[in-house]
Amino acid sequence: MLEIDALATCLSTPACLVNQTTSGLIIGMLLFLVASGVTLIFGVLHVINFAHGSFYMLGAYFAFTVYQLTGNYFLAAAAGAVGAAIAGIVFERLIISRVYGQNVLMQLLVCYAFILIVDDAVKIVWGAEYLAMGIPAEFRLPPYRIAGGFVPPFYLFLVAMAVIIGLGSLYVVTKTRFGKIVRAAAHNASMVSALGIRVPIYFALLFALGCALAGVAGALAAPVRSLTPGMGLGILVESFIVTVIGGMGSIPGAFLAAIILGLTRSIGSVGFPLFVDGAMFMMMALVLIFRPTGLLGQGTLR
Amino acid sequence: MTLLREFRRDIAIAVVAFLVLLAIGFGIDSPWPRDFLTSIFAFGLLAMSLNLLIGYTGLVSFGHAAFFAFGGYVFGLLLQWEGFTSALGGASVPLAFVAALIGTALYSLVIGAICVRLTEIYFAFLTLAFQMFLYSVILSWVSLTGGDQGLMGGIPRPPFLGIDLGDAHHRYAACALVFVVCVLIMRIVTESPFGYTLRMIRDNAQRAAFLGVNVTRVKLICFVVAGSIAGVGGVILALFTSGAYPEWAFWAQSGEAIFMIMLGGLNVFVGPLVGAVALRILNDVVQMYTSHTEIVIGLVILFVVLGLRRGLLDFARDWWVDRQQARLAAANREGEER
Amino acid sequence: MKTSDIRPRRRIDRRTVLKGAVGVAALGTGISGFPAYLKAAGKPIRVGMPTIMSGRVAILGESSVAAAQLQINRVNKAGGIDGRPLELVVRDSRGKPDEAARMTRDLVNNEGCDVILDAEASSASFAVNEVVRDIKKFCIHSNSETSSLTADPKNQVPWVFRSARQGIHDAVGGGLYAARVAKEKGLKRWATVSPDYAYGRANTEEFMEYVKIFAPEVEIIEQTWPKIFQPDYTENVTALLNAQPQAVYSCLWGGDLVAFTDQASLYGLFDQFEAFAVNLGDYPVITAIKSLPAGVHSGSRYHKDIPDTPENEAWYAEFMANSKVLPTNWSWENATAMDFIIAALKATGGDTDAEKMGKATAGMTIDSPFGAGGKLTMRDSDHTLVNYMVGYSKTISKDPYVVDFKQTDWADIYKHEEEWKKRNGYI
Repeated sequence: MLEIDALATCLSTPACLVNQTTSGLIIGMLLFLVASGVTLIFGVLHVINFAHGSFYMLGAYFAFTVYQLTGNYFLAAAAGAVGAAIAGIVFERLIISRVYGQNVLMQLLVCYAFILIVDDAVKIVWGAEYLAMGIPAEFRLPPYRIAGGFVPPFYLFLVAMAVIIGLGSLYVVTKTRFGKIVRAAAHNASMVSALGIRVPIYFALLFALGCALAGVAGALAAPVRSLTPGMGLGILVESFIVTVIGGMGSIPGAFLAAIILGLTRSIGSVGFPLFVDGAMFMMMALVLIFRPTGLLGQGTLR
Repeated sequence: MTLLREFRRDIAIAVVAFLVLLAIGFGIDSPWPRDFLTSIFAFGLLAMSLNLLIGYTGLVSFGHAAFFAFGGYVFGLLLQWEGFTSALGGASVPLAFVAALIGTALYSLVIGAICVRLTEIYFAFLTLAFQMFLYSVILSWVSLTGGDQGLMGGIPRPPFLGIDLGDAHHRYAACALVFVVCVLIMRIVTESPFGYTLRMIRDNAQRAAFLGVNVTRVKLICFVVAGSIAGVGGVILALFTSGAYPEWAFWAQSGEAIFMIMLGGLNVFVGPLVGAVALRILNDVVQMYTSHTEIVIGLVILFVVLGLRRGLLDFARDWWVDRQQARLAAANREGEER
Repeated sequence: MKTSDIRPRRRIDRRTVLKGAVGVAALGTGISGFPAYLKAAGKPIRVGMPTIMSGRVAILGESSVAAAQLQINRVNKAGGIDGRPLELVVRDSRGKPDEAARMTRDLVNNEGCDVILDAEASSASFAVNEVVRDIKKFCIHSNSETSSLTADPKNQVPWVFRSARQGIHDAVGGGLYAARVAKEKGLKRWATVSPDYAYGRANTEEFMEYVKIFAPEVEIIEQTWPKIFQPDYTENVTALLNAQPQAVYSCLWGGDLVAFTDQASLYGLFDQFEAFAVNLGDYPVITAIKSLPAGVHSGSRYHKDIPDTPENEAWYAEFMANSKVLPTNWSWENATAMDFIIAALKATGGDTDAEKMGKATAGMTIDSPFGAGGKLTMRDSDHTLVNYMVGYSKTISKDPYVVDFKQTDWADIYKHEEEWKKRNGYI
């Protein structure tokens, strides 16, 4: 099961080291964007958005359509974020807000229903065919060579964007007036609404922000991932692993966990290729057993 | 003996239910009711045993299907192992069944011992992690489990005591018996003092602990009972499909069981069973009329969760209770007026 | 829970149990009785088709159903089978083997289907195989390429056939082709990137085995196995980069192959070595890839120019006029399955008895737009399809996407298939 030779050879070759480390970061950072949305929504609203993968998918499809119409990748990425945010508001207002504070099973079920409906709707609107956006012209460049390794410029851009957006959302939640109101409202909604603040709107906006993070991740990655109905499911499980390992509710935790997971995937594909998935679930189990609140969780959350 | 006396009504119902099931299976000429009910036996046990955890103990498990799959795989693997069947001959089917039961019990004991210390969402995610771990082991250990193709080539079922599980009628009757016995066991568990301890833990674990209940131990026992019965469900499905497949250990299978519970109702004993039947019928009927099954099923879920806000039987029970109370109140008023 | 709750609860429960049992019984008889009764009186011959209609590979099921329906419409327009029309009943199993098995039973027992067209992927087709053996219904597996499904005597059933490609045929054809390219260009160091499940592993092993038989100097230096439906292939792409092979083989398919190709292009992977991708030629794949590299060796799937005949061109046009999705490899395989079902029914005069239809189908040759020389044969000895198009083309970035088709001679395939069967103890 363990391929120690291959692992040792790789770790002692600069080219391999560069390739595997950068690929770990690339995998990790896109996961981080999706997972930060999950953790943000949970941290403030205390609901688990099991339908998060659907917003990732919607972001990708919206971006695809806008890119087809305009040919502008940056506009497409923005459209993915905005589209997912709008879908998020609709979902929050019509469905998930009705199960706030309820049994987690209720949340699970309405999310499951939403996943089914959106998957089928996407199939009706965009068809069952595989869609690919293609690499935007700006990024059709040969890969950089670093110490014999290959680093595609497009992936550098993705990693940078993921870090900027992730830090930006952390700033919004912790430092801005909006973030402070939302966190206060989550703590004591009636008190905040007594101050004349419309709490439901703030909750909806925060939910939309979380969905926008998933949407922009889907949109940013759309050029290199094929679009199919049901594509959100695969990313959902991994983003939950990241959320749990990092600590539910902690954005820095999600960042750390995403890097760990990305590196596990990329190093694991050399060292223990058959057991990469198993290792990820094992890590999740170990964290839950020994530190249920996650690596950087505060432990005060429900 | 006291058990017999105390639960004689439930035992009588079980006997009647078994006879009704036999009458359906043998009385109707078409094989369809047998097929339909056999799969209900399997998924019904999965859902009902999960409800021991969710509805009665308040332990929300996202990974219950792991035990379902485990039972099915142990049973199938033992019978596919030629050394086992040739050495034991006719005894191999019952022994494989017992081995699957004990194996699943031990497996759920190990997993449960780790999981029940956690609560709420952390418990849910830990059970999920162990389930997905089992799933990836099944997928990776191709030489033993056949990987994604599952156990292929059929499961041999040497006859024992004149019972040939290769025969559709025998198989149906055996599955029905196992199912009814398991349901009866769950009934006894939930209505016994132990069952009320479970409810107490669900409603207030701290108070239970103050009253001297060893909460962790009670939870663990419940976890093992639920896991073992889910394993029996897996055995029935393995018998029925003559194979075992990794999808049984996938999280979506646990999700489906949760949906069955919520659809049928988690506060009524047979709720999950009704949910299993309703989901199956819903699925089949929707497929007859539209290719957009997902949208329709999604809308039904939303209706149940947001419209009824509880399962079908819970809804029916509440409606019944409300009506009784209204009638009682009306009768009281009348009495006063008179 | 208050103690006062206990008594009433029990009473309600008991009623519910009884009512439930009665209800289940009533529903059981109702649902089972009603449609079967209705259908028995009707004329049409019903063909049950379990397949995958939802999720990530819904397109495969949709393109299968479209193709099967096309052939049915044609025969119905011409008066059906002695005046009885054919009718297709489709069920979505979501690719789950136990669902496929259950639905196959339901299609027969409940929907009154007389014939099963099993349009499932590999693992589910094994489950369906056991069901139709058990309930004795004529069945054609239309999609499973797994060789052992028909080659292994354990799985053979007198009334069950396969109208799909068979892995070993493609492996011999691919091996011969790739070995020739390897010798021409001196490609010795090979790597593979294929999906980590039974099909991916078996297909890759068989292909590389034949490359090595025909070009013994070839060695495999790296094998990387992405999971099926993996969104990101970066770690697999970099594994290939690290190994620096001269040639790469892949049996990734569908959306996974689309994503892999686009991601690999970012690293300039296709500039660095020769690539062989058996499933690249599928229309929905090759038209979706935005940065389709030229010169990739692509296996034959379905293509309007392969074979380059007016019949095939006409079928393509008819399919496109009637389908929401592009034709896939599964399309021609299902059209062929339906053609054989129709031919068998004509031979038995509309009698759907499994043994009679099986006897009629074994060894039958039909005219087909997909056959080499316009003919396809259902081989008598192992009930699998032969004489279809096996070979490799090269990609170009524009329509028709693949050119320069090199067809494998079936005589070569037969020879090596027989040796393979002996090696595996099948004959």
